[in-house]
Amino acid sequence: MSAASVPGVPGYRAGPAERAAGWLRALAVFVIIAAILLPIFWIVLTAFKVPRDVYTLDAALWFAPTLENLRTVFEHPWNLGSKIVNSVLVASGTVLLAIPMATMAAYAFARFEFRGKQALFLVVIASQFIPAAVIVLPYFLMFKQAGMLDTRSALVLVNLSIVLPYAVWMIKGFIDAVPVEMEESAMVDGASRARVITEIVVPAALPGIITAAVFGFTLTWNEFLFALIISKQDALTLPIGLIGFRTDRGDLWELMAAGGILITAPMFVVSLLVHRQFIGSLTAGAVR
Amino acid sequence: MRRIPPHVWLLAPALSFVAAMALFPLGYSLVLSFREWKLAASGAPGAWVGLANYWLLVSDDPEFLEALAATAVFVAADVIATLAIALGAALLIKRAGRINSLARVLMILPFVMSPALIGISFRFFLNPEFGIAHHLIGMLVPALAGRVWLADPTLAMIAVIASDVWHWAPYMTLVVLGGLASIPQETEEAARVDGASPWAVFRDVTLPQLLPVLGVVAVLKTVFALKAFDTIYTLSNGGPGTATQTLAYFVYQVAFNHYDMGYAAAAAYVLTAALLVLSVFYLRLVFRK
Repeated sequence: MSAASVPGVPGYRAGPAERAAGWLRALAVFVIIAAILLPIFWIVLTAFKVPRDVYTLDAALWFAPTLENLRTVFEHPWNLGSKIVNSVLVASGTVLLAIPMATMAAYAFARFEFRGKQALFLVVIASQFIPAAVIVLPYFLMFKQAGMLDTRSALVLVNLSIVLPYAVWMIKGFIDAVPVEMEESAMVDGASRARVITEIVVPAALPGIITAAVFGFTLTWNEFLFALIISKQDALTLPIGLIGFRTDRGDLWELMAAGGILITAPMFVVSLLVHRQFIGSLTAGAVR
Repeated sequence: MRRIPPHVWLLAPALSFVAAMALFPLGYSLVLSFREWKLAASGAPGAWVGLANYWLLVSDDPEFLEALAATAVFVAADVIATLAIALGAALLIKRAGRINSLARVLMILPFVMSPALIGISFRFFLNPEFGIAHHLIGMLVPALAGRVWLADPTLAMIAVIASDVWHWAPYMTLVVLGGLASIPQETEEAARVDGASPWAVFRDVTLPQLLPVLGVVAVLKTVFALKAFDTIYTLSNGGPGTATQTLAYFVYQVAFNHYDMGYAAAAAYVLTAALLVLSVFYLRLVFRK
């Protein structure tokens, strides 16, 4: 076989068979993109339809758009406004508590040698595998006893159990990649450990810390089971708000779609902004 | 007084939270699984019953055994479909190119979407009167045109699996892409120059080097499938009947609809045992060095 007939080698010319294969590939990629975008597109369309247009396929693509649904979801009895506030407070509370603790722990795991380090680290990683039901069962009973059911603080506490392990792991990966020499020379110059962390390590690992914060926020923002069990009325979050549109009169799809946009749009914007670091650190754990 | 070593105070906050929010409940639930506690009847835990809760699960609860069977079907189909799609899509878009990098960026979207919303949306798409997916599938496969998806046990299971695959396969594609990127280009090129067919290159060069990553994807997806709850709750509610009631959903039902805490803890521990075994596999795969 001559070198000119090997794809990727200079002098190679595509024959009809290769060109057909190329078209097939492009077609397959378009199918993938469509499979991701069409369901999202359909929900977005539905959010701008009047009910009459939702309950028929005749108005699938051609309809008079309305902003009514996006207004209705903020009104009584749906009150998505208060649910957005709850979701923002619970997610930011969880992240604000988790990230400093995780950064400190990640730094210790990355920079110190001590007895039982490997075992402790594995316990932190493995704690992600505990099913949510096992975590929420005891805490439901304790919060009930303490009168903390249906509070945002209770939600922050249980959400820490999923965000902390991920954050420790992610941030450790980034601190591992920061060269240790700068820290050592600062220590020789008499800087305290706390100053080394806040002034050298945190800035150097900032992309990782931000990624972990975004990821933790996303996890908490979308969290469903804990909120379903712990919140009843005052602490309801957006995902639970969505299932409120299933009523005795049937499912109010156009309102669900409008709520769906509200819960999804912020996550899309933020994750696309940090998508490079996001992809890198989300996949690093699996391939290293 | 001895100074506290820095790693101790650095680790203390995070580790005490992990202990309080994960390890303590793990122990508490285990203790609970040996007691009787019907929350509707009493605010305090009842008698110690030893292994009675576990015995009841396996000896006299067809619903639990059905949940185990449903879990096996759901997990197996979910993991196989996710692996196949993730591997296929990753091989397809691994080359540079504008469409391919667009596809890579879009892969993030399903992953950051609320699984509850995904379940609700699939329910909407499959509505027998005006569901767009119901309509389009009916045109492609006339045999399915008149079927009500969520009223049919098999179709409902397929729907639940599809919604979970839609959520996870794009993310897993990114993981596989990461694995493909770490394979040295030279090995594949050398095989190609030696005249190996594309299929032979994939089978003998790419696949063996990719196996560790595929192993991680398989274990992780098994874990996430065992924990899946949101999409099942919002899409099928475990139905029709109990056709899509997996173990995670069963535990929720027993605990928060029947308020039978001890029994729920025992069922939850069956799930926990499976997950802890998987976590050992996972840690071996990821930290094998």
